[in-house]
Amino acid sequence: MKLLKTTITTVLLLLLAQAGFAQPSNIEIDVPLRFDHYYDYSQVVEAVKALHEAHPKMTDTEVIGESEEGRDIWSLTINNPNTGKPLTKPGVYVDGNIHGNEIQATEVNLYLMNYLLTNYGSNKKVTNMVDRNVFYFVPSINVDGRYHFFNDPNTPSSNRGLRIPKDDDRDGLFDEDFPEDLNGDGSINRMRKKDPFGKWKTDPKDPRIMVRTEPGEMGEWTILGQEGIDNDGDGRVNEDSEGYVDPNRNWGSSWAPPYVQRGAGNYPYSGNVTKAVTEFMMERPNIIMVFAFHNTGGMFLRGPGTKEEGPLNPQDVNVYDLLGKNAEKIVPDYRYLISWKDLYSTYGDFTEFTYNQVGAFSFVGELFMSEQETYKAHDEKESGDNESSAFSESTKQKRERLQFNDHVVQGSLYNEWKTYDHPKYGEVEIGGWAKMSSRLPHPFMLQNLVHRNASAVMYAAAQTPEVSMEIFDTEKVDNNLHKVRVRVVNHNAIPTMTYHSVKNKLFPKDRLKVSGNDIKVIAGGEITNLYRDQVRYKDHKPEIQFFRVPGNEAVEYEFLVEGDGRVNVEYKSRKAGKCSQQTSL
Amino acid sequence: MEKPISRGSLFWYGMTMLTLFFMSADVSAQNKDGDKHYHTPSEINNKLEEIRKSSKKSTKIHTLATSPGGRSVQMIEIGPEVDNEKKQLPAIFVAANLEGTIPISSEAAIHLAELVISEQAAQDKTWYIVPNGNPDAAAHYFKNPLLKDSRNDLSHNDDMDENTDEDGFEDLNEDGFITKMRVKDPTGEWRPVEGDSRLMKKADPTKGEKGIYKLYTEGIDDDGDGKYNEDGKGGVNVNRNFPHLFKDFTETGGAWPGSTPEVYAIFDFVYSHPEIAMTFSYGATNFSKVAPKGGRKSSADFENLKIPESFADQLGADPDKTYTMDEVIRMVEPLAPAGFEVTESVVASFLGLGAVVNPQSEDLKFYNELADQYKEYLKEKGLDAERLGPEAAKDASFELWSYYHLGIPTFSMDFWRLPKPKKEKKDEEGSGLTADKIEKMSSEEFVALGEEKIGMFLEEIGAPDQFTAKRVIGMIEGGQMTPKRMGTMIKKMGNAKGSDSSSDGASEKDKALMAFNDNVLDGSGFVEWESYNHPTLGEVEIGGEVPFVRNTPPGNMVDSLLKAQVPWTITLSEKIAKLQILNHEVQSKGSNVFKITVWVENENYLPFPTAMGKKNKQPRPAILSLQAKGLKVLDGKQRTPINSIGGHEVKKYSWLVRSPESNTIDVNLESTHAWNDRTQVNLGGSK
Repeated sequence: MKLLKTTITTVLLLLLAQAGFAQPSNIEIDVPLRFDHYYDYSQVVEAVKALHEAHPKMTDTEVIGESEEGRDIWSLTINNPNTGKPLTKPGVYVDGNIHGNEIQATEVNLYLMNYLLTNYGSNKKVTNMVDRNVFYFVPSINVDGRYHFFNDPNTPSSNRGLRIPKDDDRDGLFDEDFPEDLNGDGSINRMRKKDPFGKWKTDPKDPRIMVRTEPGEMGEWTILGQEGIDNDGDGRVNEDSEGYVDPNRNWGSSWAPPYVQRGAGNYPYSGNVTKAVTEFMMERPNIIMVFAFHNTGGMFLRGPGTKEEGPLNPQDVNVYDLLGKNAEKIVPDYRYLISWKDLYSTYGDFTEFTYNQVGAFSFVGELFMSEQETYKAHDEKESGDNESSAFSESTKQKRERLQFNDHVVQGSLYNEWKTYDHPKYGEVEIGGWAKMSSRLPHPFMLQNLVHRNASAVMYAAAQTPEVSMEIFDTEKVDNNLHKVRVRVVNHNAIPTMTYHSVKNKLFPKDRLKVSGNDIKVIAGGEITNLYRDQVRYKDHKPEIQFFRVPGNEAVEYEFLVEGDGRVNVEYKSRKAGKCSQQTSL
Repeated sequence: MEKPISRGSLFWYGMTMLTLFFMSADVSAQNKDGDKHYHTPSEINNKLEEIRKSSKKSTKIHTLATSPGGRSVQMIEIGPEVDNEKKQLPAIFVAANLEGTIPISSEAAIHLAELVISEQAAQDKTWYIVPNGNPDAAAHYFKNPLLKDSRNDLSHNDDMDENTDEDGFEDLNEDGFITKMRVKDPTGEWRPVEGDSRLMKKADPTKGEKGIYKLYTEGIDDDGDGKYNEDGKGGVNVNRNFPHLFKDFTETGGAWPGSTPEVYAIFDFVYSHPEIAMTFSYGATNFSKVAPKGGRKSSADFENLKIPESFADQLGADPDKTYTMDEVIRMVEPLAPAGFEVTESVVASFLGLGAVVNPQSEDLKFYNELADQYKEYLKEKGLDAERLGPEAAKDASFELWSYYHLGIPTFSMDFWRLPKPKKEKKDEEGSGLTADKIEKMSSEEFVALGEEKIGMFLEEIGAPDQFTAKRVIGMIEGGQMTPKRMGTMIKKMGNAKGSDSSSDGASEKDKALMAFNDNVLDGSGFVEWESYNHPTLGEVEIGGEVPFVRNTPPGNMVDSLLKAQVPWTITLSEKIAKLQILNHEVQSKGSNVFKITVWVENENYLPFPTAMGKKNKQPRPAILSLQAKGLKVLDGKQRTPINSIGGHEVKKYSWLVRSPESNTIDVNLESTHAWNDRTQVNLGGSK
C-alpha cells in the first residue's frame, strides 16, 4: 500500500517534472537560430545541418568522430571559397561542452556560427573577418555528456566526464551506484534528515538554506548527500556513478596520470572525443586562435595550466593580454586569468594542447556568473562577502539567488524541499537547485551571454594576422647586380605564429623565397636597420629566408640578385596565408 | 674503393709478407652474419607465425599497430585462455626492442616465446610477447649502409626548413657503414684521445687542450644549408614516447606521450587487459640486475607539502610551513561541497604536486634481493664475466611507465654489453714495453730485450701464435723491419698497450669498445680513419666505430647468451603475487548471527601490488565476497576490496552476518591479476 502510494506520487511528480525552467518542446530548428532555449544533442546536430543547408557554399560539415556510446561528433566549418581555401587562411577554432553538463558553451558556438553566416554580406566587420579567416566549430565535444545531461536526472554539476566506466569504490563493479531521481523531478538534489545531532541548522532568513551549527549549538539537519539509494548494498550511497574520465584532463600536453590528476584517464587521448578533436586539429595547422567554452565563473583563462611549465614568453603574453583584457570589457565582470596561478593547476587540459602542439593562442571561456542572478536595489552593496570561497558561495549570496529564483524566474530554478520516504534513511527531505540552474543562465539571460561571448571571439578573429608584402625598393648596384628589398607587414595584432612555437620548433617559420629563371640570389638577409642600411646576411641559401611577423609590425629583407628578367618573391606562412609579388630587373 | 681493414690481422699478414704496405682485406661486418643469428622485422613476424602453427591451441597472433613505415607490430599470446576475451589467469607482458637498435632483444623475445611453450611456462598464466616494438628502427640493422637510429619512419622536418627528410646520411666511402667524418679545423672542438688516436674526445680547455677537428656524421649537405645530415628520415623513438617524465619538444620523443601508433597501441592493449601482472622490457636496461634508479628531485613529497600563498588563507594554513597529505586533506574537506570526496589525487592536482619520480623504498627491497639472486644465477651459468653496466632507464621509456603508472612489478634485461676492459697492468708487471718505447729503440736495443720480454709483449698486444719472439727478432736482425716501423704499426693497430700514455682520456665504454674490436672482432668493429675528398668540406677523414658494435654481440654468441639469460624471465614470472584463501572460521554468536573470518594469503614472493601500485591505485584490488541465500551482512562489506597483501603475507578479514544456520556461504576471492580462489563456509557444521 505504502509502495503504491509512493509510486503514484512519483508518477504525479513525473508529470510535473521540470529540471528547472520550461524548455519548449517540438521547436522547429530554423535559420536564423533561436536562443531562447537550450539545444539538446539531436537539436544541436539539426542546427548544424540547418546552418549548412541555409549556407551551403560558405559552410562544410563533418563528423569528426564517434563518442564512447556511438554518438557522432559534428563540426562545422565556415569558409568563403571565393577568398581562398581554408588552409590558406588563419584558422579560428571554437568549441564547447567538453564537460557534458556545461551546455551553454554549445549555444555560444551555435550563436556565433549563426551570427557570422546571417550577418555576412550585410555587416562590414563580419564580412571582413569571414573573408579573411576560416572558422572551425565543434559545438559539442562531449556529446554523450550532453545527451545524458538533458535526458537523465542530474545535478547542475554531474555528467561532466566521458562514458568510460570506472570502479570508483574499488569493489570490482563499475558504475553500479548512480544517484537516483527519487522524487522524479528531473534533478538530482540533496537529501537531508531532521537530526538534532546534525551539523546543520536552518537559516533564520530563508528556511531553504542550511548553515553550519556554531560550537555549543544543537543541530537540526544531517545532510545525506545526493539523492539516491545504495544500489550495490555496500552501505554507501551513490559512490560509484558514471565515469570518471574528465575529457579536459586527457590531452597530451603536460598530461599526468590519475593519481596525480583526477580524471586524467589512463593515458592521453584514451577518450574517443579527445582523440577525434586532436586528429581534426592536427589536420588544420592553420589554426592560430582557439576558444574553448565551459561554465562557470565568468573567466577567460589562459595557460600555463601548471606552475612547472614556467611563465609564457613575454612576446606571447602581450598578445594574450590584448585579447584577454578586451574580452573582459566585452563581457562585463568576467576576468582574464592565468589558469594555474589564479585558479588551480590542471594537467593535460585542452588549451595546453592547443597552445603547445597546435601553436594557437588559446582561451578557455568560463561562461556564466551566478552573481549575475541578482535581486537587489540599485543602492545595495555587492552581495559578495568574505564568507564566500573558491569552493562555495556565502549564505548572503545563497539568499539573494533564492530571491532571484522566487521573483525573477518565478521559482523555476529551485526545487523546494519535500519529504520522501527513503528505503534506507526513512523520512528525509529532498530539495535544492534544479539541474538546469546555477551554472547556466535562465533562457531570458542566454541571449546576452551568447552574444557577448561570441563577440569576444570575434574581437580575436578580427586580430588574426593579415599579411601583405611589397617589393619596396629595387636598386641597380652594378651592371648585372640588383638590390631587391622586400617588406612583409602584419596589419593585425596577432603575430603570424606564437613565439612559443618558434622557440620549440613546432613547425617551420614563415618563408620568403626569391626566384626567377635568369637570376641568382648572391646574398640576402634581414634588414636590421633600414636607415643605416644594416643587413644581417644568411650564410646559406640566401634566396630563402625564415622569420615570423609580430603583430602590427613589419619585417624587411634585402637580396642581392645577379642577372635580369622576372623576379618572383613569394611569402608563405603556415597560419597567415601566402602572397607574392613580381618585378623585372 | 677501399674497404675497412682489420688492422690486427693485417699487421701480422703484412709482417709475414715482409711488406709494410697496407693492403685491403675483405672483412665481413660482424653484424652481417651469414648464419642468420639476427632476423629482420618481417622474419621475426614469420617466426611468430611458425610458433603459432606449432602450437595452435595455445597461441594467437595480435597485430597491435602499424608503424609509420608501414610495418606491423605483432604480438604473440601464449596461454591456456587464448580463446577468452576476458582472462581468469594473470598475464606477463613482454615488449622487446622498443628502441629498435638492440637486435638481440628481438631474438630474446622469440627465444622466450619458444621457451614458454617448451617449458610449459604458460600453463597457469598468459604471456603477451611483442618481439619488435619499434620495427621501423629495427629494420635499419639489415640495410646497407648500416645506420643506428632509434627513430621510426614518421616524417619530421627536423631542421624546420622548406623540406622534410631531405638531408640524411650518405655512406660516402661505400664501406657499408654510416660512421663519422673529421675535418681539421682551427675552430674544431674535437681532438684524438692521447692513448688511442682512433678515438675522439672534446678538447678540455681547462686542461690546456685545444680542439683540432670538427666532427660530423658521414654524409653530404643535401639541402645546402651548411648543416650535415640534420634532416634524415626518422621521427619518434618508440621508447621515448611513454608518459612518465615525458618532456615536450625533444628531438626524438614525439609530440606527446603515445603520439606514435606503436605506443598508443601498447596503452590501449595493456589498460584493457587488467590481467597483466608483470611486464618485461628487453632492451637497453636491466632492472633484473640493477634496481630502477632513484635520487630524482621531486615536488611530490606527500609528507612535506607546502601550501601556496594563494590557497593558504582560505585553508587557514601557513604558507611557510609544511604539512602531510593527511593534514591537507583535513584542511580542504570542510570547504568542499557536500558529497565531494577529497582524496590524495584531488589535493595533488589542486596543489599541482606532480608525479612520483623515485622508486618506492619498499619496492627497492625486492628489486635488490632479486638482483642478488640473478647475479648468483649468472655465476652458475658462467656468465659472470665483468661487462659494462646496463643503461639507466630513460625518461619517457616503457620501463618507467610500467613501474610508475601501471604499478606492477616491472623488469628489464639487456642480454649483452661489451666486456669491461681489463685494468692496464703496470709496466713492471708485464713486459714493461710499449709501442712508444719500441719506436725509440735501435734494432740492437730491441734485440737486446731478449726473447722472454719480447714474447710477453707480443702476447700483451694479442699477436697471433705464429709470431713468436724468435721470428720477430729474426725480422729485425734481417732488416726487414725496424723497431720504429713496428712501433708505429702497433700504434696504428690501436692496441691499448700501444702507447706510453695508454688510453688516457678515453671513457671506459670507449676503451671497452676498442678492446673488443681489437681482441675479438679482429678490427671489424671500427673503421680506420681514412681520407676522403668531400664535395663541400674538402679533405676529410672518414672512420669511427661500426654502428651496433656496442650492444650487439657477434652472431655466434647469441644462442648461448639467450639460453643462459632468457630463462630468468620465467623464474621471475613465477614470483608474481598469487592470492588464495588459506583458512576460514565461523563463530556463532546466537540468533543466527555469525562471525565469519577468512584468511587470505599471498603465497608468492612479490607483493600485491607494488608499493608504487598502492600509491597510484592503478592495479585493481582483489575482491573477497560472500554469497548465500538469505545472507545479510551486518558488519563488513559483502564485497570487500583487498587493496594489498605483501609477498608471503597473510591477512585476516571478518564479517558479522545473519543467516539461516543451515546455510552454506560461498566465499569468492576474485582478482584480475593474482588468480582466483573460492571456498565454502558451512554455518551449521564447521567450527
